[in-house]
Amino acid sequence: MTSPARAANREELQRGWQPRLPSRLFLRFLGRRLAALILLGLGITFVAFALTELVPGDPAAANLGQRAIGDPAAVQAFREHYGLDKPLPVQYALYLQHLANGDLGESEQSHRPVRADLSEYVPATAELALTSILIAFALGITLGIIAAIRRNRLSDQVLRVISLGGISMPTFWLALVALYVFFFQLGWVPGSGRLDPGVAPAPHVTGLYTVDALIAGQFDVFASALQHLILPACVLAAYNVGLLTRFTRSAMLEVINNDYVQAARAKGLPEHTVILRHVLRAALPPIITVGGLAFANVMTGTVLVESIFSWPGIGQYAFHSATTLDLPAIMGVSLFVAVVYIAVNFVVDVLYGVVDPRIRVA
Amino acid sequence: MSARSLPLRFRLGLGRRPGTIGSAWTQPLAIAGLALGGAWILLAIFVPLVAPYDPLAQSAQLFLAPSASHLFGTDELGRDVFSRVLWASRLSLPLAFFLVAMAVLIGGVLGGLAGYFGGWVDEVVMRATDLVFAFPTIILAMAVTAALGPSLRNAVLAVLVVFWPAYARVVRGLVLSLGEADYVSASRLLGASSRRALLVDVLPNIAGPVLVLATLDLGNAVLLLAGLSFLGLGAQPPAPEWGSMVNTGTQYFQRWWMGTFPGFAILSVVLAFNFLGDSLRDALDPRSSWAVKEQNR
Repeated sequence: MTSPARAANREELQRGWQPRLPSRLFLRFLGRRLAALILLGLGITFVAFALTELVPGDPAAANLGQRAIGDPAAVQAFREHYGLDKPLPVQYALYLQHLANGDLGESEQSHRPVRADLSEYVPATAELALTSILIAFALGITLGIIAAIRRNRLSDQVLRVISLGGISMPTFWLALVALYVFFFQLGWVPGSGRLDPGVAPAPHVTGLYTVDALIAGQFDVFASALQHLILPACVLAAYNVGLLTRFTRSAMLEVINNDYVQAARAKGLPEHTVILRHVLRAALPPIITVGGLAFANVMTGTVLVESIFSWPGIGQYAFHSATTLDLPAIMGVSLFVAVVYIAVNFVVDVLYGVVDPRIRVA
Repeated sequence: MSARSLPLRFRLGLGRRPGTIGSAWTQPLAIAGLALGGAWILLAIFVPLVAPYDPLAQSAQLFLAPSASHLFGTDELGRDVFSRVLWASRLSLPLAFFLVAMAVLIGGVLGGLAGYFGGWVDEVVMRATDLVFAFPTIILAMAVTAALGPSLRNAVLAVLVVFWPAYARVVRGLVLSLGEADYVSASRLLGASSRRALLVDVLPNIAGPVLVLATLDLGNAVLLLAGLSFLGLGAQPPAPEWGSMVNTGTQYFQRWWMGTFPGFAILSVVLAFNFLGDSLRDALDPRSSWAVKEQNR
């Protein structure tokens, strides 16, 4: 067989290995995805615009809140700022212009720009979300592999019930029960916040307290931060563990009966090599696609759970904004989360294209 | 809804292939789900006979721990938590069924039109679904409810906004693939009208995946409504609602019974629908992967 691929291989062997430039096909795939991303981003701003400026009976009243609405000067200023007396397309253009300048409006609660609030709260949520996703993928994939190997036996059935339980559990309730049991009754974990009282965070580098503490070499701070992190992260992981267990199981079962797996066994490879190198390797691309969904679930969870753990992130901010009907803050969080979400989905798409070349062509 | 329409689906031909919907009922998980869900539906119907107290009646007996007279204890206004948990099923269950039925209807019609006509209809509907999918569900539902004003009605509307696109995508995809299927062409060549082809050849094959999705969404609807109420955007006090009861429970952390029991109610209802949906999916398509929604992205 003198395929071009083989010729290229031989050529590469003679030249020695060199970093490969992305192929033209891949660049086109990337460009298409990028264009879709930008369109979707615009769409998101339109949804947010419609919800803030069009839906409420009086946008000025909804956005200014009770106090300021009594002040005619404030109402007038708001109307002029957002061009509420102008035609809709102009209003939308103005809205986009404000967004481009990072103007998300002002929170009624904190009386600060929503953007300033967000940038203060994002690192806490990032630390929680990343840890939770890490736990979920490690545990979910492991359990999924076990379920696939032991398919239709008792342990598979038990895992099925557990994973369905994970996706059926109201996260906010799980947080409450977990906090009651592990903090109040057993005292295994500290109660709330990101650090023990009296412990100062390490110098700000990333905003993630655990990482910052490691960078500064302050291991007592790291321990404290980790203790505070572990319970909320596990609670947030519950849904995704259920999801990933089921997904990994079915992705493994799609390939486990293929001829090449039989061939690997027939070669005399040990079973764990067959499962990990041959079956799991082929099952991984679909599992990657769950990444975007897992992120969405974690963001959903943080909104409901952070306030229970007094975790000072955007979830708690969103919760308090929702309970006090702080519309600019709610819209700011929604817009921010949606933008990050489509960015995550973009990365997942591209990764999928890298791992599975067939996707690029389709 | 699903249980009553099952014989109909058999007649429509879903049961014709051996090992389809009928085989779901041989699974222990499906039976457990049916029993649990059925028990909740019966409870919701007969609440006035079962609940020992008026769910809104306040008393001087605040924060009583669970006992024989108050099975789940009492809350901060002296109301019986057990009665409130039972009465709340009258809110969540009918709303969940209503929501999913509406989502199937709206999503099904829009998806069907998109798949059938293609062109700009398809483009508009699909871009609309893209927009909804660009937000994590509760974030969008929260934003919509907050903009409309917090009330149960607006929460239901918000959930509807985030639920219909999944059905539009599934139905569109199926209409597209089935429209080109050989057996549909064969039926048309034999002289079947487009109406007959749609109703007899295409619809029964759409029913299966939609039924699976709808069963799972019953659970999701209960979860999402409870979540919105937990945020204070859904049911308003003093109405008994599971999510807002858990919220109150977080404020009285040490009275564990106030939040724990309503949460159990949510868990058991959602679990029942997920058991059912998962078994149905296994029965209808053993190969199918976890998230029907995600498969159709």
